[in-house]
Amino acid sequence: MRLLVRPAQYVALALYILFLGFPLLWLMSASVKSSGELNSLTVSLLPQEWHWENYTEALTRQGLLHSAWNSLLVALASTVLSIIISVPASYVLARLKGKVRIAGVGWILVSQVFPVVLIILPLFLILRTLGLADNLVGLTLVHTTYMLPFALWMLQGYVAAIPTELEEAGAMDGASRFTVLRTIVFPLLAPGVVATAMFSFVSSWNEFFFALVLLQSPENYTLPITLNTFVGGEGRTALGPLAAGAVLAAIPSIVFFSILRRKLTSGLMAGAVKG
Amino acid sequence: MKTRRLLAAASLMVTALLVAACGSGSGDASGPVTLTFQSLSDQPAAIAETQKIVGAWNTAHPDVQVKIVQAGWDSVYDKLITQFNAGTAPDIVHYEAAGIEPFAEDDYLADLTPYLSQAKHDDFQKGVLDSVTFGGKVVAFPTEVQSYVVFANKKLLQQAGVAVPTGKTMTWDQLRQISKATTKGGTYGLGWGLSSPTAAFVALAPGFGGKYFQGTGDQANLTVGEGETALPKLVDEMAYQDHSVLPVTLTQSGSKALAPFYAGQTAMTVQGSYQAANIAKDAPKGFDWVVLPPLAGPAGPAQAASPQTLSVNKDSAHVKEAAEFIDYFTNTDNLAAMNEADALIPPTNSARQALATKLASKTGWDQILASGQYITSAPYLFASKYPQWKDTIATPAYQQFLAQKIDANGLTTQLQNGWKSVTTN
Repeated sequence: MRLLVRPAQYVALALYILFLGFPLLWLMSASVKSSGELNSLTVSLLPQEWHWENYTEALTRQGLLHSAWNSLLVALASTVLSIIISVPASYVLARLKGKVRIAGVGWILVSQVFPVVLIILPLFLILRTLGLADNLVGLTLVHTTYMLPFALWMLQGYVAAIPTELEEAGAMDGASRFTVLRTIVFPLLAPGVVATAMFSFVSSWNEFFFALVLLQSPENYTLPITLNTFVGGEGRTALGPLAAGAVLAAIPSIVFFSILRRKLTSGLMAGAVKG
Repeated sequence: MKTRRLLAAASLMVTALLVAACGSGSGDASGPVTLTFQSLSDQPAAIAETQKIVGAWNTAHPDVQVKIVQAGWDSVYDKLITQFNAGTAPDIVHYEAAGIEPFAEDDYLADLTPYLSQAKHDDFQKGVLDSVTFGGKVVAFPTEVQSYVVFANKKLLQQAGVAVPTGKTMTWDQLRQISKATTKGGTYGLGWGLSSPTAAFVALAPGFGGKYFQGTGDQANLTVGEGETALPKLVDEMAYQDHSVLPVTLTQSGSKALAPFYAGQTAMTVQGSYQAANIAKDAPKGFDWVVLPPLAGPAGPAQAASPQTLSVNKDSAHVKEAAEFIDYFTNTDNLAAMNEADALIPPTNSARQALATKLASKTGWDQILASGQYITSAPYLFASKYPQWKDTIATPAYQQFLAQKIDANGLTTQLQNGWKSVTTN
């Protein structure tokens, strides 16, 4: 019976991965199907004939690569900014006691309940006054602002999970406050920072509505806005090129994740044991 | 070490972003007038045609240059409302008659009446021009129109012993008879994607004497009588009495209902006329299809249409030049070329004639263009709350009716009470 447990676990894991990965497989399949096949009743994962023209059209139409570059700039910049701001802020938030902490947590929760439609117009007017409308810097600031509450919320949970005894032990050994933070807290916080960075990057990379309204010039369009042009009026959607564009759009996120993936687990307890 | 490199790379990205931003958004105050034209053209051929027209204009008018700003149809209303409110709307706005009413109501669109020559005025179909006239002012020039037509699988009609109708129009009763006759051996007579049925029912209501709306703006009133419910009832009878409508299509979008048509599961399908281009492109090899004559109800073959439009931002510093460009864009040759590229119907008689001559041998175009002459004014375009009523009241009510969850009286009650609720909130 015991011998069967491990294989069963692997089978379950494989099925789970297949379940999670199937939409991506289907997307990749759709990206190499002809319009006729996509609009037929035939359902098959493998295309009847490989139709690479979808990729050509996706790349040549509407400046997809330039939009991808814009998206990459905005996503990386807003991720870096949100991490720089949220790491110290979350530490303070987690370690504070009393009314200030309650007010801070309350503010985070309240800031999440406003629908974007409600804030888009005043936001647009403010950015225009600052000369940051239709501008990637403006969009980066908006993305950072919009992601910060969640980043704070996420990170303060990680900080709260770090035992204060470790910091006290460091202080007892004569380490300064900054040394304690640098050598004990930050290494333990690293997986949380990585997870938050991943979330921030993907949120910014995929964000549509702010970019739609704030960006006016095609040369500033981000990837979701350019992909949106494949969705036509009257329900006319260029499914093949859209799928091809979506596959290409997923690549930077996958690369970003693969770079940061190991950081999630490495250093999980780094600094907890003094070597 | 790796983390440091990663941070350094990220910092470089931020720097690059700042540099890129500093380089964007620059403008030259001197030199020629530059008009921004926010285009929603989405088909590759239509995008190319738009660029060609703009290129020709720019060559002929070195002092008035037009810059295309490509945008998508999806969520364009939100984008426009923000642009107008913030004073950053483009000079030339591409949209549709069904969407411009709020902007006309809020006085964001320039009155183009002074720029509409008598010749062009007479060339536009009256009903189509009415659809862009608000408070006596023409606030847009129509560019492209769609009608609802019946696409038929010629082979399946012949196998059922049905002659392809050839008259100037075809009655709904004829459609029902053909649908019944071709329903056999696993094949259904009709496939009609009615997951969002309101647009089709409202557009086709004039053929049954249905208007739905009287009045304009917030004062518009809704009437749901025989003329308005005739078509939903007919579909219901075809689906549940004749069993000649493929049931699944009633829950699908129009485009999705094409797949069973290609597969020979349905002999006919009601679609927007623009689908002719998709059928020509996507249908299996050897698929022999035709477009049947325009559908006519007891009140005739009229269809209410919401044309695509070009408007001028009232706050533009160059209203006159923008209006002149729109006038150029809507000349006979340009409208014919744009509508051919988009597989739609030109709103002017001359462009329709030109296209009819050019595409006489192309499958379906004769009937599609013929249906264009019956396009009439759409009262719903002038009802401010129509979009809200359509999405929150009418579509769910029609869906329930087509699923036989409510009867015709229930449908009427829901539509009317729903209108009251959206207009009093």
